[in-house]
Amino acid sequence: MRRFAFANVTSRFCGNRIVFLCSFFLAISIGSSNQSWAASESMVDPAWKDYRQVSGVSGNLNSIGSDTLNNLMTLWAEGFRREYPNVKIQIEGKGSSTAPPALIEGTAQVGPMSRQMKAKEMDKFEAKFGYKATSVPVAVDALAVYVNKDNPVKCMSMEEVDAAFSKTRRRGHAVDIDAWGKAGLDGNWKRTRVSLYGRNSASGTYGYFKKKVLKKGDYKDEVKEQPGSASVVQGVTEDRGGLGYSGIGYRTSGVRAIPLSAKSGAGCFDPTFANSSAGKYPLARFLYLYVNKAPGKPLPPLVEEFLKYVYSKAGQKIVIKDGYFPLPQTVITKILGDMQ
Amino acid sequence: MPDRIKKFLDSGALFIWFCGTAVAASLLMVGGVLLLIMINGLGFFWPHALVEMTLSDGTRVLGELKSEEVIPYSETPEFPKGKTRVRLKVGNRDLYGLDFRWVDTDRIASADSPKDAVAFERREWGNFYGRIREVSRGEDIVATGNQEGWQALQPLIGRANDLHEEIEHLQRDVIGDINYEIEGTRLRIRELELHGRSQTPEVTELQAATKQLESRYHKHVETLRALSRQLDEYSVVLVETNGSEKRLAVGQIVKALRPNDMSLIEKILRYFINFWSVLSEEPREANTEGGIFPAIFGTVMMVLIMSVAVVPFGVLAAFYLREYARQGLIVRVIRIAVNNLAGVPSIVFGVFGLGFFVYAVGGTIDNLFYPEALPTPTFGTGGILWASFTLALLTVPVVIVSTEEGLSAVPQEYREGSLALGATKFESMLRVILPSALPGILTGLILAVARATGEVAPLMLTGVVKLAPALPLDHHFPFLHFERKFMHLGFHIFDVGFQSPNVEAAKPMVYVTTLILVMVVIGLNLSAVALRNYMQKKFKASAV
Repeated sequence: MRRFAFANVTSRFCGNRIVFLCSFFLAISIGSSNQSWAASESMVDPAWKDYRQVSGVSGNLNSIGSDTLNNLMTLWAEGFRREYPNVKIQIEGKGSSTAPPALIEGTAQVGPMSRQMKAKEMDKFEAKFGYKATSVPVAVDALAVYVNKDNPVKCMSMEEVDAAFSKTRRRGHAVDIDAWGKAGLDGNWKRTRVSLYGRNSASGTYGYFKKKVLKKGDYKDEVKEQPGSASVVQGVTEDRGGLGYSGIGYRTSGVRAIPLSAKSGAGCFDPTFANSSAGKYPLARFLYLYVNKAPGKPLPPLVEEFLKYVYSKAGQKIVIKDGYFPLPQTVITKILGDMQ
Repeated sequence: MPDRIKKFLDSGALFIWFCGTAVAASLLMVGGVLLLIMINGLGFFWPHALVEMTLSDGTRVLGELKSEEVIPYSETPEFPKGKTRVRLKVGNRDLYGLDFRWVDTDRIASADSPKDAVAFERREWGNFYGRIREVSRGEDIVATGNQEGWQALQPLIGRANDLHEEIEHLQRDVIGDINYEIEGTRLRIRELELHGRSQTPEVTELQAATKQLESRYHKHVETLRALSRQLDEYSVVLVETNGSEKRLAVGQIVKALRPNDMSLIEKILRYFINFWSVLSEEPREANTEGGIFPAIFGTVMMVLIMSVAVVPFGVLAAFYLREYARQGLIVRVIRIAVNNLAGVPSIVFGVFGLGFFVYAVGGTIDNLFYPEALPTPTFGTGGILWASFTLALLTVPVVIVSTEEGLSAVPQEYREGSLALGATKFESMLRVILPSALPGILTGLILAVARATGEVAPLMLTGVVKLAPALPLDHHFPFLHFERKFMHLGFHIFDVGFQSPNVEAAKPMVYVTTLILVMVVIGLNLSAVALRNYMQKKFKASAV
């Protein structure tokens, strides 16, 4: 039942072409969860294919877009340049909202985004080219809710997270969670205040959390807005009562990513690879690359090879290295097939 | 009693005490900041000792001891001051998932620092701490065991680093040159096409040249592949302290150290080697490892271009305001405006730079001079020139104000004397007043440099990037490439500190970069001060 619900949620943030692809992704069972985080090997799909160099790839590749994907794009660029030393790649990561205008103006061939394009952005693109921009999911991110490493809280439901971060409490939790006692802790923790850390409003993560957790409600005024995902984690590390949200890739030894349940009373799930791909963890999302592809025509060879590299064994291993979750080969085959 | 207090107050000694306290507080704060940066930054280069701990459950931990703290609320009769725990850098990110680990002190059964533990710096996944099981060439085992493997590994790592250098040279210099030529011919062909001359013999010639360049490129790529294969020739099986194995190509290792087996002199030597490699190397792993050379280069070069742009403008404006313009309402208004300009937040200048320089000026230049490259912008996107100009705008008030100060300090008799001796106004300006005002002008430059080096916000809009593919200065004509994007120390700090995942491991890099930024600022300032002193001496001599 919950899996079905997740499919609904994903279908809303998956592109039209990708809807069935996403549900496909959910259908893949990875086996039981509660595997240790550490085992990066466990995320490796043996079916991933090695990247094969082709001839005739050269020129400049410009990428403008998300800052969440900035590091990942840089790592991919470093790897891709090892395959093609004659390719120059420039990466700017100032936010997902900078990707659509860059694709429309043609100043970038690739637009990484941590969210889907909004209807307005897509309309502008369509007005210029007569067709929609193509989105391809390249990795999975589990948005984690972090507490200080000493915090013993076992699990939080989405309602509780909403009640901690939001003043509107659209998910209908009865009380405002302003102290850890209200989240079920006792002893010294009972009266420790919940100290909130979040992202600044320009961030795609801010918008995603607001939409998915707060149901478009309002953040509390005392949320400390941070300039980057890493500084949210730093804040929670130093602050014993801290509670913050950030991508799973930013986890450190000073914080703990707590298990979340989609509904109070439902099962709690860690933000692991297995739970995210099985659709059990409620805050899993895709990260996308947007490209300009005319229907019926192939992509420019440079862009196509870059995407192939991203979907190769080397590319997906880089995803793991950067702390995000890779895509299984079955999904990749589907995406590449769709692009043809 | 009241008398003595009154006397004390009247004497003004209290005021002197306040002044002294203010100076001391300022110095203390500056010193504190520098000390904090130095403590955190300078430790980064030191080869830290490795500790191996056996925990009460029998598992083992090997790593660098980083910090110790008291666990809050853990005071019990057995632990009257509270239990403690230590933070270790255990590395092996690919095996453990995290580089750091907290261990409660009361769980540690025993701890020692084994001399044979090896710390590997790797090109990917951060450090590895452990021991060597075997070294092999393809399928053949060359050496087994930690000691034998360690000895076999040393020359292999040296060779692998030489190979990396060779690959780097091939990629950046040789293939870089070919690419530059190919790009040049491509743009030339496109230009001819735009002028409707796509059928001329020149185009065929250019196409033939491209073909030739491409075949040269492919030859080099073959060499490159052969070199890369050599990197994978030898591999080593490493074993972490609990016995898990990891096979690694020797080409993946940057260096291997046995920090517990090093003498103090070796450690000091290693310290300076590490320091130099951070200064001189390119960044690795999305900037969190490796060196910061391109960022240092970009920062210095941007400041130099800015200085060249800002001084003439500021000085001319100040001369006009002070010497030529009729002092009145308008000049006063202008002066107030200039002073206020100095207080405008820097991000506003950034937005102006983006709108005016990048889009308006740069876009026009692209349409007029680089139509063959469109839609890829040449000057119509952020670049080092636009960033320098934006900072020049930001700092021009400083130069104007201090030049005016310098001019007002020139005694009126100099002007009158010069005119009385028959010099024209322009001559006396150039020969008498400018040299006398020079210290003021150069003070302005020093202040401008100090301000510009620390600015980041406007740069983020006008041309700074996380990773620039090429330096803005190289051996291709016209040597200075004003349109290129560049890296900057300040942005590097922001990016590594706030944007990089695994911020715990990247934190020392932030402090090191901060330290080097401070050193660059001090260095630039000192050279401006030296320039001022030199000029002062020179003009004093010529005036006599």
